[in-house]
Amino acid sequence: MINLFMGDIEVFFIENNDIQLEAEYYESTSDKSSAILICHPHPQFLGI
Amino acid sequence: MYNNVVSAVFNTFMNSNISSLRFNFRAVGRSTGTHSSGRGELSDVKGCIDYLISNKKVEKVFICGYSYGAAIGCSTVNHSEKVIGYASISFPWDFIGPKYKKLSQTNKPKIFLQGDQDNVANFNNFQSHYDFYEEPKEFKIINGADHFYGGYERQAAEEVFKFFQTII
Repeated sequence: MINLFMGDIEVFFIENNDIQLEAEYYESTSDKSSAILICHPHPQFLGI
Repeated sequence: MYNNVVSAVFNTFMNSNISSLRFNFRAVGRSTGTHSSGRGELSDVKGCIDYLISNKKVEKVFICGYSYGAAIGCSTVNHSEKVIGYASISFPWDFIGPKYKKLSQTNKPKIFLQGDQDNVANFNNFQSHYDFYEEPKEFKIINGADHFYGGYERQAAEEVFKFFQTII
């Protein structure tokens, strides 16, 4: 897995059941115990 | 990776110094695999939850999903006790079928955002869908917003952040 950083954002792939998911992660500099996981719309769903 | 609503939420949380993960579903952008009509996409979200817990040592995961991402993302709310709740933005109940409505049922805190001009996640049916869910729950109607939230994405993101602050 190659991790790149764009400013404070880590760009990488999450491995899950032989699938690689493109991901971007910002890690808090204070409280690392909580996080939000944001799910995109799907481009094949209603053309979004 | 770009969507106006997702980016508004991501940037709002990042600017408040909250750890934030966004990802592309399988077969989208540079993600591998093929679209699997929901089944594999549920696995994608669960994989991201597991990644946060195992690799980033996150103790509390808050899910936010928009449109298809709401249906899939919120349906993983019971995957782990470390998922503390969710924010659903324009859940497309009428299009995506009853499966995801049942899977997203939970006694964890949740908020539903809905545009009053939305005819995809149809505003006229919102209340009946909302009534299905157990407490604790909230809703917020974004006046003037359709399904795509042009010009309203920041307002939606701020509502998600305000709710997050109440449950964290």
